[in-house]
Amino acid sequence: MLAVWSLLSWRYGAYVLPSPRSVIVGLVEIVRSGEIWKHTAASLSRIVVGFGAAVVVSVLMALGAFVSRAIRTVVQDALAVLNSTSVFVWIVISLIWFGLSNWAPIFTTFMITLPVVASNLVEGVASVDRRLLEMGDVYRLSAAEKFTAIVIPSTVPYLIAGMKVGFGLALKVSVVAEIFGVTTGIGYVMNYSREILATQMVFVWALVMILIMMATDKLVFDAAARRLTRWR
Amino acid sequence: MAVMLEVADVGKDFLIPIIDRVSFTAEAGEFVCLLGPNGCGKTTLLRIIGGLEAPTRGRVLLGGEPVAGDDRHRRTVGVVFQEDRLLPWLTVRQNVELVLKPRGLAATERRDTAARYLWMVGLAGFEDYYPGRVSGGMRQRAAIARALAVEPDVLLMDEPFGALDAQNRRIMQKEVRRIWRETGRTIVFVTHAIEEAVEIGTTLIMLSARPARIRALIRNDGRVARVTLIDDLNTMIMEEVERQQTRTPA
Repeated sequence: MLAVWSLLSWRYGAYVLPSPRSVIVGLVEIVRSGEIWKHTAASLSRIVVGFGAAVVVSVLMALGAFVSRAIRTVVQDALAVLNSTSVFVWIVISLIWFGLSNWAPIFTTFMITLPVVASNLVEGVASVDRRLLEMGDVYRLSAAEKFTAIVIPSTVPYLIAGMKVGFGLALKVSVVAEIFGVTTGIGYVMNYSREILATQMVFVWALVMILIMMATDKLVFDAAARRLTRWR
Repeated sequence: MAVMLEVADVGKDFLIPIIDRVSFTAEAGEFVCLLGPNGCGKTTLLRIIGGLEAPTRGRVLLGGEPVAGDDRHRRTVGVVFQEDRLLPWLTVRQNVELVLKPRGLAATERRDTAARYLWMVGLAGFEDYYPGRVSGGMRQRAAIARALAVEPDVLLMDEPFGALDAQNRRIMQKEVRRIWRETGRTIVFVTHAIEEAVEIGTTLIMLSARPARIRALIRNDGRVARVTLIDDLNTMIMEEVERQQTRTPA
């Protein structure tokens, strides 16, 4: 793959496709200058706020869906609408509402990841085995005991699956939103690199994103899933 | 002996009549087997006795107190369902301890009680296994330990060995009989297997085809030879199966 990449780079020139070597050099450069941490931290902190809020709201929605059938219908309809709304719609709306600020990418991330995490969680809540809940009734478990012993453990795998997909989406979406109006973050710096014709830096930052994604998948979500489903 | 369970004129309609009218009493320590063709309403009757469903007519008294269709009644019921209904994310021990929590026992008491009943059902040494790691027979043993641990006024068992192979089934029948002798619990056991009922029950109740009535109530006290009893019950159940089929085309 590296050989083909080098060949194509040589054929089309560094502006269209920078060589692997220049990308590595660029990566070393931003690590050394500390620029990598500045922009990564900016992007990640926005993601943590937007995505974190989406997880919290998803849990509340799932709780509502669990206690009332009417709420479940409303939640499902709302999620269907959100699911079919384009990223660009939220970027434009957030620019109108929040202007050129941190809140624009945060809001966009929130609106895009909410339906993904919440749909998973609502599905998880709906799939709680009624027969286990009935067993809880037989032995007079309180609502709180049934919730912690039966509902939460049945739903956790759905939450983790939803968060895994949602986090990946958050990373992809927030960088797009960062093209507009902010002066930090991976999306901003990629767009800036394009403007100053430093294509190799666009590739460097893309590489950084891929590494972040793979690391969180393996170190956070897969590890959490393994830990929480040891009983399988 | 004292009457523990009284089923008085109980009937249930669910779009169509499922149970017509069923009355019987069971003394404390009796082992009642409910027999009948498949789909005749045995499970529904058991669920009414356990307070999992409300009867359309009549009522159920447990230790003299009415059993409500929700869990507001004060009597304690243990149920072993067709499936084990263990929580797969809890160990066998934790599954038993869980149902002791509402009874206000301290953690050490819960642990001791769970250990005692798990030992009784032959699961000593398997306490810390997750249900997914043990056999189907052992999961049903754990479900029985859980039902016994709450020290129920009546232990309801709904074809608990239906999913087991013939050999395990025989072993479990013997085990239930032994556990019944050791604990002296009142048991209502639903089955459609006649040999099983004759093997373990002290009172055999044959239900009719749907809507269920009591076709026969037999004291299994050894006065009738086992072979004759099995023959009679087989004849009855075949008649009822036929009646049910002529009413509801398969």
